[in-house]
Amino acid sequence: MKYTQLFFQYAAQYMKTRLTYRTDMVVEIVSDLLSQAVNFIFILLVFGHTSMISGWSREEIIFIYGFFLVPFAIFGAFFNIWDFNERYIVKGEMDRILTRPIHSLFQIVLERMELESLFGVITGIAVMFYAGSRLDLTIAWYDPFVFVLLVLGGTLVYASIFILIASISFWSDSPTSIMPMMYNIGNYGRYPVNIYNSIIRFLLTWILPFAFVGVYPAAYFLGRENWYLYAFLTPVIGLVFFLFSIFMWNAGVTKYRGAGN
Amino acid sequence: MGKYIEMIRIRFLMMLAYRTNYYSGILIYSINIGAYYFLWNAIYGDKGSIEGMSALQMTSYIAIAWMARAFYFNNIDREIAQEIKEGKVAVELIRPYNYLLMKTMQGLGEGIFRLSFFSFPGMVIVALIFPIAFSADPVTWLLFAVALVFSFLINMQINLLTGILTFFFYNNTGLIRAKRVIIDLFSGLLLPISFFPGWAQQIMNFLPFQGISYVPSMIFTESFSGSEVIHAVLLQIVWVFILVLPIQTLWLIARKQLVVQGG
Amino acid sequence: MEKIIEVKELRKEFKSHSSRSGLKGAFRDLLTRNYKVIPAVNDISFSVKRGEMVGYIGENGAGKSTSIKMLTGILTPTSGAVRVNGMDPHKEREQFVRSIGVVFGQRSQLWWDIAVQESFRLLKKVYNVPDEVYHDHMSHVIDSLDIGPLLDKPVRKLSLGQRMRCELAAALLHNPPLLFLDEPTIGLDVLVKLKIREFLKEMNARYNTTILLTTHDLSDIEALCERVVMLDEGKIIYDGGLSSLRSNWGEGKQIEFQFADTAVTKETLQPLLAEMEAAWTPGGRPNVWIANVLNEEQVISEVIGRVVAAHKITDLKVHEISIEDIIRNIYEEGVKNG
Repeated sequence: MKYTQLFFQYAAQYMKTRLTYRTDMVVEIVSDLLSQAVNFIFILLVFGHTSMISGWSREEIIFIYGFFLVPFAIFGAFFNIWDFNERYIVKGEMDRILTRPIHSLFQIVLERMELESLFGVITGIAVMFYAGSRLDLTIAWYDPFVFVLLVLGGTLVYASIFILIASISFWSDSPTSIMPMMYNIGNYGRYPVNIYNSIIRFLLTWILPFAFVGVYPAAYFLGRENWYLYAFLTPVIGLVFFLFSIFMWNAGVTKYRGAGN
Repeated sequence: MGKYIEMIRIRFLMMLAYRTNYYSGILIYSINIGAYYFLWNAIYGDKGSIEGMSALQMTSYIAIAWMARAFYFNNIDREIAQEIKEGKVAVELIRPYNYLLMKTMQGLGEGIFRLSFFSFPGMVIVALIFPIAFSADPVTWLLFAVALVFSFLINMQINLLTGILTFFFYNNTGLIRAKRVIIDLFSGLLLPISFFPGWAQQIMNFLPFQGISYVPSMIFTESFSGSEVIHAVLLQIVWVFILVLPIQTLWLIARKQLVVQGG
Repeated sequence: MEKIIEVKELRKEFKSHSSRSGLKGAFRDLLTRNYKVIPAVNDISFSVKRGEMVGYIGENGAGKSTSIKMLTGILTPTSGAVRVNGMDPHKEREQFVRSIGVVFGQRSQLWWDIAVQESFRLLKKVYNVPDEVYHDHMSHVIDSLDIGPLLDKPVRKLSLGQRMRCELAAALLHNPPLLFLDEPTIGLDVLVKLKIREFLKEMNARYNTTILLTTHDLSDIEALCERVVMLDEGKIIYDGGLSSLRSNWGEGKQIEFQFADTAVTKETLQPLLAEMEAAWTPGGRPNVWIANVLNEEQVISEVIGRVVAAHKITDLKVHEISIEDIIRNIYEEGVKNG
């Protein structure tokens, strides 16, 4: 309850500061849209030379991409911790965080939120509707609820992977380049995993479970019944990984060395 | 000249100090190349060739494009933006060297580090896992090396340009991000320029981006024939010269502005 | 009186790797690294009672900030026991930090882009301070620190002195019984320093707030603290009253003579101090010599009398040995009569 209240306090403050730098916000949204457009163009270009990729049509791949955008946007809005090592460990901001009576990770989420990233939710849903209408998909009454659940699962998957990587900074003092590259790896969850070989499929399912952000949950809406098991595993995987990442974070905090040592 | 070489050396040593980056980097680039390898194989399906490239040429293309990226890619644009915002540039300007050249040298130090510790071992690892065609012709390798130097220069110039733009926009992070995304697509890192529709290729002939990734990768995979290679490298050289112009102009304006504001 | 801070055998070790020199060394570092375990804080024990104001001093790297960070729950100790406000700072961190206030002089607690009062409002929520308590307590704090006019300004527009006063108010927002101040007056001008000292004294008198203060500025400590804890190389080398520090180490006076006659040397001066417990040291300038003597009327007048009788002088000064000199002496000579 207290955490919800705090969340809204911070969000209100965030809006206030952001509105003073309006151009920044517009540039931010435009650059988001641009990178979404580039990925979209890539799919279109590729399908200019083929009609099916491992049994998936152009519209299906576009739909998967649209779904992927939604959890990714939510993740981007709240788990902006790619520079955690630089900002909080090297510069010692973690000291300040640790003198406040709120869970350290939650404080960082509050401080680093970037709500304009949520714009991607709209783009994603629009892309899904575009592809969905061309595929003649129908929406059942419970589908919106399933959608929310699967999106939540996908967001948690993303969040936990990045929390885990951020936690490494507590042990290792080298600034890590894993973060930016992880964004690239994460992108592969938006293609159907059956195009990869079994090792990579295993990796994307169980080790860095990015497949649960795009193709697995999207398969449910595309009516691919042989993938349903994975689709419904999405929230479970999300929760398990999230709990594990929180555990590692908490363990990492006890190893925090402080700045300037 | 000595101080510039010293700068390359220092940056090289700095990079060496961050060993975790280096181990994880190769791994991640390899995973990246692998993912594209599978994607492209799925796209090729049972087609023998698309746009004159075989599946083998395509995977070699992707692999070399990423490994070359390790050499030319750097965050000098972000560094410049940071130094401008923190007001450090004013201090840099009174130092007895050319700031932009110094930044280029830093980028080169970083690039040489990554080339020797990242691209070479990375390429060996990738070649062990995936089928990749290496040319046996030393001329190809030589031309590739030449093209790579210019691809570094063009990318560096674009970075300098983006960095300098911070003088004119308060917050430049959005622009820097957009630039990176555009370069990944239009340089031919994600897919060869020849896969774009004809009209788009026409437009891109008037842009510097394909000199960054497309040209060296096409040379490496021998997808260009004789005269095309020379033409492509010449185009790179022309772009290196053309880009000097906007950089110098903006830099002069920026410096004037800096003097007016008193840093 | 109850103990607010209790520290037993507290120890913190850091692993540090030494990098080899040169290009060749850097290559070898890629493969293996030399690790060294360094105890930044080496089995220290002390306790602080409620309402005490304690100065925590030491040179850079003496282990001050590492131990403060263990006391505030930021760092986990390698071994030893810490109880602060009856809690284990690290284990019960979120509960514990409600009972302390922290000011890091070089690090802002406030949000850079928003107005000071917005920062206060966020912190009020963070610490869950009820409205009545907040208004009652904070209006007093705001008055005493004289920051009322600053409240609607964004932090980035404040001067260092203004910001520091706001930082202090922010740290006291939840009226903690224990306050940690790390270099609170660094870089401030004298007036602001005085104001902050006044304010701290007042808080201590009014709420019996316990204060632990680290600083390089010993005048802060002289103004506020009755007790000092001194660290060197991770160990406590002195823990006791400021006054006893002065009487143990600072009992002498220095008499500085400037002689008119240029031929004065240590040898010619030496006989003047014969059977007395005193010694000459050069004064740093030509013809200036300092007599280090006991702080006794008889001795002082005797020395001055003899010197003036024997030589012509142009200037004469009598110094009390300052706390700074004392502390420098302790660091240079180690603890002899503590």
